[in-house]
Amino acid sequence: MTNRYDFIIIGAGHNGLVAAAYLARRGKKVLVLERRPIVGGTVVTESFGDGFSVDPVWAGGTLRPDIIRDLKLPLPAVKERPAFTSLLPDSNSLILYPDPAKAAESIRKFSQKDAARWPEFVRFMDKSARILDFVYYTLMPRLPKDFSLAEGYGLLELGLELRVAGRKDMLDFIRLLPMTAVEFLEEWFESGPLKAALASVAIHGQTLGVMSAGTGYTLLHNWLNRGGLSHVNVGKAGGTTQALANAVKSFGGEIRIDAEVSRIQVDTYTCKGVVLASGEEILADKVVSAVDPKRTFLDLVGAPNLPPEFVWKAQSIKMRGSVAKVHLLTEGNHGLPEGTVVVAPSIEYLEKAYDSAKYGEISEYPYLEITSVPIRESVTESVERSVVSIHFQFVPYKLKNGAWNDPSTSSGQAQRDTLKGIALNALTEHFPNLQSLITDYHVITPLDLETTYGLTEGDLNHGQLMLDQFLFMRPIPGWSNHKTPVDNLYLCGSGVHGGGGVSGAAGRNAARVVMKTG
Amino acid sequence: MDHYDAIIIGGGHNGLVAAAYLARAGKKVVVLERRHIVGGAAVTEELFPGYKFTEFSYVVSLLRPEIIRDLELPRHGLKILPLPSTFTPTENGDYLASWDDHDLTRRELYRHSPKDAEAYDEYARVMARAAKAIKPIINLIPPDPSSLSLRDLLGLFKVGHYARSLSEKELYMIAKLATQSSADLLEEWFETDALKGTKAASGIIGTFLGPRSPGTAYVLLHHYMGEIDGAFRAWGFAKGGSGGVSGAIANAARSLGAEIRVNSPVGQVIVKGGRAVGVALENGDELRARVVLSAADPKRTFFQLVEPKHFPDEFVTSIRNFRVRGSSGKVNIALSELPQFTALPNEPALYRGAVSISPSIDYIERAYDDAKYGQISKRPYLDMVFPSMIDPDMAPPGRHVMSCFVQYAPYDIEEGWTDETRNTLGETVISTIEQYAPNIRRAIVGMQVITPKDIEAIAGITGGNIFHGELLLHQIFFLRPAPQWADFRTPLKGYYFGASGAHPGGGVMGAPGMLAAKEILKDGNW
Repeated sequence: MTNRYDFIIIGAGHNGLVAAAYLARRGKKVLVLERRPIVGGTVVTESFGDGFSVDPVWAGGTLRPDIIRDLKLPLPAVKERPAFTSLLPDSNSLILYPDPAKAAESIRKFSQKDAARWPEFVRFMDKSARILDFVYYTLMPRLPKDFSLAEGYGLLELGLELRVAGRKDMLDFIRLLPMTAVEFLEEWFESGPLKAALASVAIHGQTLGVMSAGTGYTLLHNWLNRGGLSHVNVGKAGGTTQALANAVKSFGGEIRIDAEVSRIQVDTYTCKGVVLASGEEILADKVVSAVDPKRTFLDLVGAPNLPPEFVWKAQSIKMRGSVAKVHLLTEGNHGLPEGTVVVAPSIEYLEKAYDSAKYGEISEYPYLEITSVPIRESVTESVERSVVSIHFQFVPYKLKNGAWNDPSTSSGQAQRDTLKGIALNALTEHFPNLQSLITDYHVITPLDLETTYGLTEGDLNHGQLMLDQFLFMRPIPGWSNHKTPVDNLYLCGSGVHGGGGVSGAAGRNAARVVMKTG
Repeated sequence: MDHYDAIIIGGGHNGLVAAAYLARAGKKVVVLERRHIVGGAAVTEELFPGYKFTEFSYVVSLLRPEIIRDLELPRHGLKILPLPSTFTPTENGDYLASWDDHDLTRRELYRHSPKDAEAYDEYARVMARAAKAIKPIINLIPPDPSSLSLRDLLGLFKVGHYARSLSEKELYMIAKLATQSSADLLEEWFETDALKGTKAASGIIGTFLGPRSPGTAYVLLHHYMGEIDGAFRAWGFAKGGSGGVSGAIANAARSLGAEIRVNSPVGQVIVKGGRAVGVALENGDELRARVVLSAADPKRTFFQLVEPKHFPDEFVTSIRNFRVRGSSGKVNIALSELPQFTALPNEPALYRGAVSISPSIDYIERAYDDAKYGQISKRPYLDMVFPSMIDPDMAPPGRHVMSCFVQYAPYDIEEGWTDETRNTLGETVISTIEQYAPNIRRAIVGMQVITPKDIEAIAGITGGNIFHGELLLHQIFFLRPAPQWADFRTPLKGYYFGASGAHPGGGVMGAPGMLAAKEILKDGNW
């Protein structure tokens, strides 16, 4: 107990690092503690074998530009956005190019009317995404009482932003959020394949179906998070968090890896510091947790240190993973196009995939989102090798029959092979030789997401993105201002307002709150 | 040609309420009803000799107490008989019952789960508090948040001011209830499947969503807003059926001077100089009035009664996008004897209440799964009452009538609605009941099966949705029936809209009719 810090950040995921960097930049003594041997949390690039370098969890995305600017991160700007391809029966496909005119060309095969509406749709989505971005950037005060003028000012600005959007767009934005993706898309389009391709984006990472209310919001959220339809910077997730870690260090912050926090020290509702798994105690004025709220409160703080009603609410946070990842290392030409590829041929297909998860079963005909990254080890390399990453939904964390097993057991291995088999089966029609080109693979189940990447129940967003866990209700009604019932303990992860996705807004907002209450 | 101050199209309960309020203010009012009886979806008819049925809606609870008071409905024949219990048989042969007697309910719950019995009191308190807190919103004219007019800003201020008067707890509760799924809500509180199933069922009534879809907790709350004699969450049955409610309102309206014409279907609203000036009946007669109020559903109001060319494109698009997917049907059965529920050999008192086939949330969710792919639920959710047990006048002595609300029966089914599919729906209901009461088949004297298409054809509700449009978050308050037009006015001057498709929504509530009448009076077009 020689060291005492101004701030301890638990977890070196992107939000933890963003918060740490902003705090360190202010000259504070900051320590980031990371459980794993590498920093990055879910925004990492890892190697699973010779040449098998993968973004195991994230499919790509970018930090908010203002964060990149503020922290002077040496991250290249996205120059070009790849296409979004929806695979359809009979070796057909719908390709949504980032250029609206070119996308409309592809849509025309399915519907003239839809092709004509496409540019206006993209305009509405981009504009609505900007509003949502503004919402995420606004600190949520405690409603309705006790909010200071300064906090209220943020809301006022938000109100103005909405009005500036224009009467129609403002009302359409409000209306969109609670709708089902299907309802919303039906108002725009008539073509089944187009509606399904877009609807798949709405359920990406969610344990909801395309016919569940509130998927209008998740469609917009994912649109914002990706900056459109397709993913960017695939295969480079680790670069983002490495840059963040370097920024933290350059501002004088300290990062310790292999340093698992086992307990947050609390004395009569006041946070004193943390205790590591090794038994080491570290004191700090303030502790900021980037760990998901359920784990922060129930495991690290512990129920006895919290008000009983708050414990009940923490238990009720909906964390519902139903995502698995199948990563393949291939050699030879598999024929997968660059960019983002989805298996989402129809609304009914997607909804049925979700039906399985609802009752605790793995989808036999899953919704898949695939990205393929060629590996160029040297310019003269002749063999074409690539990493194919498959995002697999729906795979429930809680199985009706049995449980997920550790990959070191034979049954655990069999479960992973089953997932791989189902995924490849769904792709055979389009890429018949993919199976034979696989030289290595790595499957991540919802349990692996929990045990390896620290996502409770395998929920990618530290809590489902649903309207009852949105705005001032994320993660718990009344506690979306990054504060907790424990004094000097703050939250900055994806589970709080601003969170979900790779923008870093939650980390940045938390740093703002922590500095203000300094 | 007849001249009126106000013409009201549609003699459903909302139309009648509006007529009564306008007449009470001294206006010359006429109600035009298409059918031979008034009541719309709140009617009682003798379908088989001696057996009377309340064909569509069958319980009252939501009817606004101020309407009962203002119109002195009890003096005009309204008598509400309480529905004292709910009985849910379970798939393992047991049952769950709840009574209006708190101690009895608690004891029964305790039998299933001591934990649930403990949680139940707190749950009931929380829901009652939320319903009470949201109640004042019912009588507000929804302000348009995108408008900068003084009236809307004042309205927004009122809402904000009201929100500030609520405690933090109440505000969060409402916010959560408005956005949650009923399954998530109930799973936070309870573990008994039948309890969760039965409560979740009220979250799906009239919507085309499953209990696991967000937004259904709001519908559940909507059903909690009912009150009878000031007692929240009390459901009742009108003496003489739902027709008794409409009858009483019609009597009140008549005694206040309103004229009610049945067998008078309206063809078109007459528009002159950009203003609604009267209506043309289907028989060619024309009636003139200073204002016309439609108590029909939104689609009929804006697409059939008036040519859409009188409305801006944006408004037409909004109404076109208004969701009116019917999801439920009704089976009315005349019985020679009561069905004997095997789970319940010796509790005749429970037949005075509702019988709910909702053994678990998964049961209802699976029923929804069928429906969303265009099928009638193989095992539907049923809500049954025996009006003759409460009001003996409804059936011949010793005989009974039974009303089965059935969901899901989607408006659009794959095969389409025909006599054959209608029979399938009836058979599905009977075979579902049979699982719990094997004697049902031999007790049937007569049976009427009502599909969503029938609701559309008979009661005149487009899409057959019992709320004239689903109570979805994007279809309530300032978005009902269309953004910028939630204040009972329409883009056509002199034309008003006041039925279940308007704020605050469906059920035998009467609030839309009352609020519309008050707005008409405020505008003072006389």
